[in-house]
Amino acid sequence: MIPKIRFDHVRKEFAVQASRGPARRFVALENVTLDVSSGEFLTLVGPSGCGKSTLVDLVGGLAKPDGGRILLDGRPVDGPARDRGIVFQQYALFPWRTATRNIEFALEVAGVGRKERRERARYHLDLVGLSAFADRYPHELSGGMKQRVAIARSLAYDPQVLLMDEPFAALDAQTRESLQSELLRIWRSTRKTIVFITHGIDEAIVLGQRVAVMTARPGRIKHVFDIPDVLHSETDDVRSLPAFGLTRHDIWSLLREEVLKAQQGQAATSDTETPPQLTRSFAESAHV
Amino acid sequence: MSSLQLTQEHARTSRSWESRRPNWDTLTAALKWPAIFVHRSALLLALLAMWEIAPRLELADPAFLPPLSEVLAAGWDLALNGQLYEHVGASLFRVVSGFTIAVAFIVPLGLAIGWYSRLGDTLNQLIEVLRNTAPLALLPVFILLLGIGELSKVTMVIYSCAWPLLLNTIGAVRQVDPLLIKSARTMGVSSVQLFVKVILPASLPMIFVGVRLASAAAMLVLVASEMVGAKAGLGYLIIYAQYSFLIPQMYFGIFAITTLGLVFNQALVSLERRFTRWRPASAST
Repeated sequence: MIPKIRFDHVRKEFAVQASRGPARRFVALENVTLDVSSGEFLTLVGPSGCGKSTLVDLVGGLAKPDGGRILLDGRPVDGPARDRGIVFQQYALFPWRTATRNIEFALEVAGVGRKERRERARYHLDLVGLSAFADRYPHELSGGMKQRVAIARSLAYDPQVLLMDEPFAALDAQTRESLQSELLRIWRSTRKTIVFITHGIDEAIVLGQRVAVMTARPGRIKHVFDIPDVLHSETDDVRSLPAFGLTRHDIWSLLREEVLKAQQGQAATSDTETPPQLTRSFAESAHV
Repeated sequence: MSSLQLTQEHARTSRSWESRRPNWDTLTAALKWPAIFVHRSALLLALLAMWEIAPRLELADPAFLPPLSEVLAAGWDLALNGQLYEHVGASLFRVVSGFTIAVAFIVPLGLAIGWYSRLGDTLNQLIEVLRNTAPLALLPVFILLLGIGELSKVTMVIYSCAWPLLLNTIGAVRQVDPLLIKSARTMGVSSVQLFVKVILPASLPMIFVGVRLASAAAMLVLVASEMVGAKAGLGYLIIYAQYSFLIPQMYFGIFAITTLGLVFNQALVSLERRFTRWRPASAST
């Protein structure tokens, strides 16, 4: 069977302009090989600056790999299209549009008629539990509500793949947990293929059927964990199960090596040539 | 009568008794707006009062600073004999036509320059040189080339409006949040759609900053150019009144310019509100 998404020896480089001297190139991703099957929920964890977001950009068609291929249903990704939806950490809602009109955006772009747009927007607002906030502007919504609108917006044009780039990282713990369970509910009812990037191990385990751990820069897939089904029970408090603790420990041990490596790497290159996204604080790295 | 009815009755009477008390509330509410008005306008009112009182007490020479009432009386005369209408009309025509033409041509140009960075690179040095040439320094040039008629004045207004409009529009396009552009691209927008549905609305607030700066520049240049060579207009009224030692008329001319500026600005503010209603209240002042 053809996988939904195939990363085939993907390599990505960036040119970094140092304040003095010539531009240098550094390798963000190297030899990333991974298959995501249709309808799967895959989470991706890795130390800060390992190129997780770059992977999302590549699948989203916003960037091109410098080596290897990314196949979507067996065909190479060629630019952005509405068969993939991206949810960003910073919501990226259009502040001049109400919640409804934000959700309608992609439908408008696609030329969907006004009536059907309204209907689909209403349906998806309902899906994320925000029917009462249809006419609110983003600045009138809380962070959690904004992210719900963003998720509804990505679902409204019915993409087959949902790419989520640390979507809950900016939310408080309680909101994050409720959004996690809602996302699982939506995933179960829609059966989208979801690639979810996070730097929280707990989040990765709770959401993912599989958890892919990435190495420090240059990012590679270090190991892919299968998460036992018992941890995806809809009723239990899965975080308190022994299996959760065991799985968490395995991932944590693997990830810690990489976080330490990433920090050493940062210390070695802590001069001007390190781009901003690689110099995130220790606190964030330690969040794993 | 059951006890339930009794309690209901009691509730009703006590409520009707209470309803007499909010008289205080309505009174304080009625006084609230005048109170706010006094609080906000106190300084201005004090200044106007000083203007009236100081010349009368001979604290200022009434020949050079006539009391406010005399200024207003002079204005009333100007209004009665039709001169005021003529001057205001002339000024209004120049400032509105110049400003409108500037907005109509410069904002699209700014959008294009902001969007096509290569166009920006080409025009950048020219813009830097021209915008640092003070418009008033060019006034003699415009008069030489375009005469002392309406053309030179309207051109001056256009020229002085152009720079705040152009720079703010270019800046507005360039500062559009890249994440919004990225997000729109993932939803498959064409470049035309991206421009119309994302760049334009995202740029609007900052374009309006340019529009309001331009209106202030327009007023400044209008008065100056009317003072140098004109046969009508408020700037002409001010300078002509001063030459003829019609001091109250001169002050009234200044008064009229201020009023015109305030009305113009207020019109722009309400237009801006209409277009950027989506912004949080604190950000749209």
